[in-house]
Amino acid sequence: MSDVKIEGFELKPGFKGMAEDTGSDQTMFKGVQWGKVMMWIFLLSDTFVFSCFLISYMKGRASTVVDWPNTSEVFSLHVGSVPVPLLLIAIMTFVLITSSGTMALAVKYGYEKNRKMCGWLILATAIGGLTFVGMQVFEWSKLIHEGVRPWENPFGAKQFGSYFFMITGFHGFHVSIGVIFLFIYAYKTFAGHFDKEKRGWFTTMKGGYVEIEILGLYWHFVDLVWVFIFAFFYLW
Amino acid sequence: MEETKKKEETSTHKIGIYLWIWGLLFVLSFFSYMVDWYAFQGLLRWSLILIFMFLKAGLIMAFFMHLFWERYALVNVLLWPMTAIACFIVLMVAEGQYTVFTRLLYFFTGG
Amino acid sequence: MSDEYNQQNTPLEAQSSETMSGSSGTPSKDIDYVRPAEIPEQDLYHGHSFITKWVFCQDAKIIGVQYFLTAVFTGVVGLILSWLMRLQLGYPELVPFITAEHYYQFVTMHGMIMVVYFLTALFLGGFGNYLIPLMVGARDMVFPYVNMISFWMFFIAVCVLMASFFVPGGPTGAGWTLYPPQAILPGTPGANMGIILMLISLSLFVIGFTMGGLNYIITILQARTRGMTLMRMPLTIWGIFTATALAMLAFPALLVSCIMMTLDKLLETSFFMPSILQAGEVLSYEGGSPVLFQHLFWFFGHPEVYIVALPAFGIVSDLISVHARKNIFGYRMMVWAIVGIGGLSFFVWAHHMYVSGMNPWFGFFFATTTLIIAVPTALKVYNWIITLFKANIRMNTVMLFCLGFIVTFVNGGITGIFLGNVAVDIPLSDTYFVIAHFHMVMGIAPLMVIMGAVYHWFPLVTGRMLSEKLGKWHFWFTFLGAYSIYFPMHYLGFIGVPRRYFEMYDSPYVTSAVGMNEFITLAALIVGFSQLIFIYNIVTSLKIGKPAGKNPWKANSLEWLTPDVPPTHGNWGEKLPVIYRWPYDFNVPGAKEDYITQTTPPSEVINAEVEKT
Repeated sequence: MSDVKIEGFELKPGFKGMAEDTGSDQTMFKGVQWGKVMMWIFLLSDTFVFSCFLISYMKGRASTVVDWPNTSEVFSLHVGSVPVPLLLIAIMTFVLITSSGTMALAVKYGYEKNRKMCGWLILATAIGGLTFVGMQVFEWSKLIHEGVRPWENPFGAKQFGSYFFMITGFHGFHVSIGVIFLFIYAYKTFAGHFDKEKRGWFTTMKGGYVEIEILGLYWHFVDLVWVFIFAFFYLW
Repeated sequence: MEETKKKEETSTHKIGIYLWIWGLLFVLSFFSYMVDWYAFQGLLRWSLILIFMFLKAGLIMAFFMHLFWERYALVNVLLWPMTAIACFIVLMVAEGQYTVFTRLLYFFTGG
Repeated sequence: MSDEYNQQNTPLEAQSSETMSGSSGTPSKDIDYVRPAEIPEQDLYHGHSFITKWVFCQDAKIIGVQYFLTAVFTGVVGLILSWLMRLQLGYPELVPFITAEHYYQFVTMHGMIMVVYFLTALFLGGFGNYLIPLMVGARDMVFPYVNMISFWMFFIAVCVLMASFFVPGGPTGAGWTLYPPQAILPGTPGANMGIILMLISLSLFVIGFTMGGLNYIITILQARTRGMTLMRMPLTIWGIFTATALAMLAFPALLVSCIMMTLDKLLETSFFMPSILQAGEVLSYEGGSPVLFQHLFWFFGHPEVYIVALPAFGIVSDLISVHARKNIFGYRMMVWAIVGIGGLSFFVWAHHMYVSGMNPWFGFFFATTTLIIAVPTALKVYNWIITLFKANIRMNTVMLFCLGFIVTFVNGGITGIFLGNVAVDIPLSDTYFVIAHFHMVMGIAPLMVIMGAVYHWFPLVTGRMLSEKLGKWHFWFTFLGAYSIYFPMHYLGFIGVPRRYFEMYDSPYVTSAVGMNEFITLAALIVGFSQLIFIYNIVTSLKIGKPAGKNPWKANSLEWLTPDVPPTHGNWGEKLPVIYRWPYDFNVPGAKEDYITQTTPPSEVINAEVEKT
């Protein structure tokens, strides 16, 4: 972040700062911890994974000669007897954005060394994530019940089922991994591992609240991917 | 670790900004849901979907993921590779159209 | 550093930054100033038992050697497969067990092994792990545990790949590009277990490599020692770094295509599979897009070419500079060429697909970008040659391999220009001309670099020199032999002999191609066997080689300047080194010796005309 201080090196803002950071010795990203850079580069790579999935979906959908099903009908829920388009998806989006907000606050309180608040917020995020996965399971089972399979689709183009289960499945897999880590980190926060700078399991490096930010980056990324899936898969 | 400690004390932001962004994300999500609710069609629908999507993605990246406060070195390293993806998308749009064109031509109208 | 930055116009600084001649400058502490360390010392896990020291080891150097040996093992398997193919082509029906099915399996496995499991793993996993921490002055990779997992993932991937030789139906025979629909349909060898194991193995490789790649990138960007700026890094590191960055962005496309093809095979989804009529029976596939797979595959595949080539470019630049005792010509140009090639490599992929039935307009775009990418590549070749011009060349084995590299690379590069143009490519595609092109440019050329690099760094790794006499025999056998294999293939391509054909039967090619095919096969066998010289050299030199001592080549770069030779875990003993210059200060006028190491402070070379780097 912008207010890093480094002994013997003047940090300048903007592109001039970028040129000097890049031209300097030791580190290119000034004041950014190794783990955080690792998460960022990993997310960049993961962005390419999801981009390739979505690009394939675009190409597959653009080149099919069978009609693509109308998503607002397929994903509608009946409230009473009225079909509400995309109701479940709207709730899922709401839940995921809520959990993203709690995560952002958890990172903030983590850096303020507010252990309790940070822990509760991470727990809230984890529960939000779990709710999301639960609703996704419901959505999947509803579609499967209606006869949509990866290999067939009663509503139109075959590829609808394939891409739907693959892309949301891959996203759901990311969410599930995130939820597991959120629970672990909630425990670690409450147990005070970051205050004590306890070393992690497989590393000789000292722990710290920056780990919460790293986990937060991952969680926001999952939310980010959902924004794109929501737009391209459900709305388009 | 001294740098880290110094940093930890100074680098948090006011809670207001997070709440603002949070609220904006809800509003934008609501808007993009409304696009479907009112069943806009054609170019209007697509452009609205894309605008809301990029706004949401930008807010999440800039504020929740702190990219707005990061130094340009990191920001540029993260964003420039997206040009490859953009190129891939553009070409695949053209390719998809060409595929469907050949399919219609040879399978249906009979080239 | 800040002092240097803020007071750039002080007379003292001006002197040390320009050339210093005469005895005007007095040695002073100030010109040696390097700003203090930003990052705390890295705590390392030191293994205690045999298992943690040598097997599940967290020392990047050991991991590098593990990667190297595993990759060489797969390379030997690939070599043997190529012999079998050549035997069939040169002497059809001489070996009874080579049927058409087996031939396709050999083709496929040879290609995949050599490109992914041999060259990629060898350059990035092997040389990358060994050299990155040493050359940038780090104690180890930044995440040693993840690095260890990375190797074992690669190991499992290799095991899965090798297992496919022993499953019913054998390994896949779809060609190394694994194009659907044919790759997963019955009738293709290994269309059941073979292709599934191949896809799983590739996915594991990608996952493992991602873990390693994160390590390489972050070690280079965030864990350099004091004074080591990006523009003072050896070109080896630049090559490996850019290649790793490419890999991090290109492998996702491979992962995605592997996942989708696995689903097509196992769940009968139709991502890549159009409607298919097989033996009068309509299959359940419908509406998929085979050309999508080709796009995904080559979006990975073309950067992959540079993932192999860029580390070779980098390493060969260093080897040439050290053994020509001259600074590399146009260092910055070389760096920007590497970065430029890396960036452009994401915009050229469909030049592999001119005959695939893609949108015909793409030919313009991809031919243009392909020809543009030749510019930085040509720059690099000119710079190597200008570096050699009027240099004080040591004609040892390492230099011979470097020269061999330049020749084969230029040869392969020029045929690349042919193939990059749509109109020329269409008649040549899927002929032996293509085989000749890519074996020259990304088979033989990188192999020359690998062999040169082994002769160069063997003393560092083991503390003993390799035999020069055997080395020269090895070089001449390999170089002349490889040329005898691939040079005639250009001619075969021109007369229209298609690649991947099991046998030519009674086609008109037979008369003019038979003799040449026999010749190529004999050459391939000789080249393959001549590698035994290399292996013999390595094995005997481990025991009886001349002790190398410190810095036997009088090189400047950091890996030779460790307190212990060979370097131990933690690399640098008590204190991390401090860097004052680039690694190419050879034959500087006014210097005491013909080389100035990177750790030599300015105050010690006050009368030499060193360049500001």
